[in-house]
Amino acid sequence: MAPAPAQTLIELDDIAREYVVGGETVRALAGVTVHIAKGEWVAIIGQSGSGKSTLMNVIGCLDTPTSGSYRLNGKDVSRMSDDALADIRNREIGFIFQNFQLLPRETALANVELPLVYRGERAKARRERAIEALKKVKLEHRMLHKPTELSGGQRQRVAIARALAAEPSLLLADEPTGNLDSATGEEIVRLFEELHQQGHTIVLVTHEPKLAARCPRAVRLSDGKVVGDGPGAQVAYAEVHA
Amino acid sequence: MSLRIDLVEGASIAVRSLFAHRLRTVLTVMGVGIGVATLLAILGITQGLDSSFEKQLATLGSSSVFVSRQPWVQLGNWWEFRNRKNITLAQVEAVRAQCSLCDSVIPMVDDNADVQFLGNELSQVVISGASEEWPKVNGFEVSQGRFFNQTDDDNRRLVVVLGADVTDTLFPGVSPIGQTMRIGKKPFTVVGTLGRKGKLLDSSQDLRAVIPFNTFTSFFAGRRSYTIGVSVKNPDQLDAVEDELVGVLRRVRNTPADKPDDFAINRPEQLASTYQQLTGALYAVALGIGFITLLVGGIGIMNIMLVSVRERTREIGVRRALGARKRTIIIQFMLEAMVVSAVGGALGTIVGLGGAKIISLITPLAATVKPLTVVFGVLFAALVGLLFGIWPAARAANLDPVEALRQE
Repeated sequence: MAPAPAQTLIELDDIAREYVVGGETVRALAGVTVHIAKGEWVAIIGQSGSGKSTLMNVIGCLDTPTSGSYRLNGKDVSRMSDDALADIRNREIGFIFQNFQLLPRETALANVELPLVYRGERAKARRERAIEALKKVKLEHRMLHKPTELSGGQRQRVAIARALAAEPSLLLADEPTGNLDSATGEEIVRLFEELHQQGHTIVLVTHEPKLAARCPRAVRLSDGKVVGDGPGAQVAYAEVHA
Repeated sequence: MSLRIDLVEGASIAVRSLFAHRLRTVLTVMGVGIGVATLLAILGITQGLDSSFEKQLATLGSSSVFVSRQPWVQLGNWWEFRNRKNITLAQVEAVRAQCSLCDSVIPMVDDNADVQFLGNELSQVVISGASEEWPKVNGFEVSQGRFFNQTDDDNRRLVVVLGADVTDTLFPGVSPIGQTMRIGKKPFTVVGTLGRKGKLLDSSQDLRAVIPFNTFTSFFAGRRSYTIGVSVKNPDQLDAVEDELVGVLRRVRNTPADKPDDFAINRPEQLASTYQQLTGALYAVALGIGFITLLVGGIGIMNIMLVSVRERTREIGVRRALGARKRTIIIQFMLEAMVVSAVGGALGTIVGLGGAKIISLITPLAATVKPLTVVFGVLFAALVGLLFGIWPAARAANLDPVEALRQE
């Protein structure tokens, strides 16, 4: 049941990414092909050094592949200029980081507004949309607090609101529960489930098989190659018993 | 994203970041401020000196030339001038007869003597020997009474016209006209007073008593060299007059053709250029010090900006990940540097102007600052911010977002 081409959001074809470290070439990605349809929730799982972080950076347009082609929402982003990539990140991608990456001196509201600022949205409109996004994560009552005044789970929800505010076509989460205790982590996973049900496309990068098992689909990486792609629970089982 | 948004957002981020690090901001602002203040105070004093000197020079009269044995301003080799032949009355007569572009040509001579009226005394007053045209050549006005005439001069009458300082000291509250005062031991009748002219290079031009030329020569004995005072018909022809005077004087003084002039033609407006030559180097050094101070302030800005970029590496990564372009980051940090330096520039301007004002109040230096200088000061400070902010800002913008996000 391959998705129709029009519904494909991410088309990664034979992506390679090489780094030169101390005169030696390191292949972080060695020909990765993954297609993700709109509305999917996909985990990318692998151990450290498997290339999953590099793949996340490529998907997030923070990095460009050495070779191969990457089409995001129908646009070839693998050879774009720095400015064009900045605009793509702004419009197409909502980042959710392991350590939240909120600006510590700004309020929750100002943090959520930030991507809208870079989109050039007017102050009033972006405030409304930011409040809307904070409501979705049930944090509107804390919106004038600074990140230091919020708990870890609340911070991650602010970060998710920031990702949602820009209405991107892709939510890209990097170990979103990594810095949280298990109860709070569970809260965040539930939130992802809700977002998935609402139709958001989610790519979640993790090294935890348990988390991958909760996702409808998982892609397993090892040594820069795809070594498994299928239902989350199945791929997670393979990862544990690798 | 438009440049307008870059600027508005950048400015607001810059201001908030500066408030977040108050002590650091204040210290950086001080660095620039001190530089600008120094620069402005120096410029203020310089301009004050120049303009007060220009005013003083204007009182000398721009349409007169004074020929004397020695130049007014001697740089170094004074011994060259000591053995020059005196300028004699015969030479004055020759100039009067032969100089076609000259208007009035008069012999002038000064000496010093004590003056006295009743109990009031002044010592070492300049006594000038003058003929009828002396006020015109020297740019003096008669304020009360009259100046001498030819008859006074021919008959060597003991009459005197007083400068303003002498009038004020010897005749406080009394009309001096018709009074008899003493110059040295001789009694003189005051026939007039001169209007005030002010100081030239800190020496009063009004501390003088003027007596008829022939009275002077009979009164002060000895062979003297005279100054030839010349007023010209047309002030635009000063160069031509100078050429003509050189020709006449070389002839009557028998100056050998292979020797330089053994007399000096002094022009008040040339005094200004000599003055500027003398003081120009001093000003250049003072300005140099001001610029170096500002440079140090600029390096302070660069230092702080580099620290700021390092501290906020992760913030830069987050902003880049959320869609900030390189330009946006550059503008943010450049504005931060420029806001600091412009604030420093504005404060420095206030302090600098205040300093110049204080200096002009407590010292004889008259400090004035032209409005343009203030604009220059603030703009220069902003330029310093721009120059020293570029490199740190470019470093910030060129950070790899992936690396920046990874930074702890």
